[in-house]
Amino acid sequence: MIKVAVIGVGKMGMLHAGILNGLEGVALTAVSDTSGLLLGGMKSLKPELRVYEDYLAMLDKEDVNAVVIATPVFLHVEMAEACLKRGLPILLEKPLSHRAAEAEHLVPIAQEKGIVTQVGYMLRYVETFMKAKEIMDTGILGRVIHFRGTVYVSQLFRRGKGWRYDPQRSGGGVLSAQATHLIDLLYWYFGRAALVSGHTRAWYSEQVEDFAHAWIEFENGARGWIDSSWSMRHHRLMEVEINLSCEYGSLTVSDDSLKLFLDQKKGRFNAGWTSWRRPDLFEGVEIDLGGPQYTRQDKDFIRAIREGGSVESDLASSLEVQRIVDAFYRSADSQGKPACFST
Amino acid sequence: MIDRIVLGHNQFFGVNHLDAQAGDKKAAAFSDASRIMEVIEFSFQQGATGLMMSTHERAVGVAEALRRHPALNRELGVYLLVPYIAKYVKQANEKGIVNIVTDSLKGSSIQNKLSIFLKGGVGLVTRDVEKMITLLIDFEVAAYTRLNLKAIFLHDVMTDLVLGWDMPHVLEIFYHYVEDKYKVIPAFCTKNLPVLMKALEKTDISNPLVMASVNKAGYQVNPSLPDFETCLREKKLCLLAMSTLAAGYLRPQEAYQYLYGLPNIESVVVGVSNREHARETFSIIKSHIR
Repeated sequence: MIKVAVIGVGKMGMLHAGILNGLEGVALTAVSDTSGLLLGGMKSLKPELRVYEDYLAMLDKEDVNAVVIATPVFLHVEMAEACLKRGLPILLEKPLSHRAAEAEHLVPIAQEKGIVTQVGYMLRYVETFMKAKEIMDTGILGRVIHFRGTVYVSQLFRRGKGWRYDPQRSGGGVLSAQATHLIDLLYWYFGRAALVSGHTRAWYSEQVEDFAHAWIEFENGARGWIDSSWSMRHHRLMEVEINLSCEYGSLTVSDDSLKLFLDQKKGRFNAGWTSWRRPDLFEGVEIDLGGPQYTRQDKDFIRAIREGGSVESDLASSLEVQRIVDAFYRSADSQGKPACFST
Repeated sequence: MIDRIVLGHNQFFGVNHLDAQAGDKKAAAFSDASRIMEVIEFSFQQGATGLMMSTHERAVGVAEALRRHPALNRELGVYLLVPYIAKYVKQANEKGIVNIVTDSLKGSSIQNKLSIFLKGGVGLVTRDVEKMITLLIDFEVAAYTRLNLKAIFLHDVMTDLVLGWDMPHVLEIFYHYVEDKYKVIPAFCTKNLPVLMKALEKTDISNPLVMASVNKAGYQVNPSLPDFETCLREKKLCLLAMSTLAAGYLRPQEAYQYLYGLPNIESVVVGVSNREHARETFSIIKSHIR
């Protein structure tokens, strides 16, 4: 039995706790949160659950095998460090940290001790984006010449309240909250970036950006732009789309569909269009709360713990994503002057 | 007895589980409650004698429009889905889950008690939590009285969270409160039918009305289509089938031929947006209902 503790029982903490507890051979045994009301409510409905207001006390007293960290971003690094020092695998919500430098020291701790880490970039577990990765890895498209990626959601049309809109606690606006999902996919698909020229704009918010746009060059030669906003009308849910122009064809992938175009037949794919919609790629999961991608993500985490393996979206990978984000902000602060980054 | 055909409501509010942009276009066409009423009326004439309603802020306008059509309002069975999750997810981004609960319960009989709990020091007892849950149900249902309510469904996000957290007692609290207070059928929407049926064995709830996705493509069917079919065959429940067309992926003819080959299909919820679509869809369904 893998026993799990959750730090921060907000929206994402509740989700992961429910999924993990619903998986075969996994049990939620302890939670910590700053809200006594929440803890009291949970305790009364699930008496065997052990609840803590102090997460360090929980880590010291509870005999658990894994920890989910789903707190505001500014708390991520210290909490991740506390877990790693105790040798505990972590599933940490995204983004990793405010800036890459704060989190760099975590990677060697995890690597030296061989601790499983995962950062919550769940789009890697959405069927369409997974299939796109599979197609790209076959090499049938050749080199990526140009890409464009967008992420939009209708979230903010007035000044926002709460930690997400306070840069001291969130690290930033739409770039940190949603564009990181898109940047993570691009990093997964292309590898490390070399240069970013970014622009941001605040309109509804006072302290964080509501719009973020950048030209990005990757070390593998892919170049293109991304555009993001949480203040875009007509997007009830977060929607991500990536379009690739490649040597031998093109590929467009979104949450809903995947369209491949090849100039000539390659392998098992014919010339012309091949498309998939979500139902073509759907596979059920043993318990679905909020989308099967979260279950796949959590299962991957548990698999890695059981096998003593790793997951792709780990601390080291999300640190690379964070470096792109840092360069983006740096460039935007100097009116788009390209930022190259040292690693 | 519940209505055999229930008109879905997602198309009115821009929800499309296959294509977000198509959903938004449709929502624009239904920005006015009178257009929605038109669809409800011709669907009713075609045999969709029930209407699914979430507590979306715009659904309040639909409820008001329904009350202005007393003849239709008397006949049309309303199936309410609570709470309207998208609204709370949005609010949770700003103020967190605890504040949503406390704000919703402002002015209620439990408010004073809550402020004591919030200050800490006093433990909550199960009775208080039960009270909070029932007050939250009232809060959601308040705008939907004076309708021909047939059933109140617990939203799948809530049902499934409770299943994941293994708190089957919450299902009992919901079930008995809806039954006693509103005198309508308490029901559950879920994405995890086999898990729900297993959890209900730990409660005093039997032969429940459940709304869940089922379609030949297996889209949004968990954990798999064969496991879902086995559950339908072996467990005692009434299914209100949703996503029967797999969000437009399947043709109605093949979709309903498959659906009505399954046991325990009590009813089906399906969205239509124009007369032609309604006539075609509902006549195919009616040909399968015996």
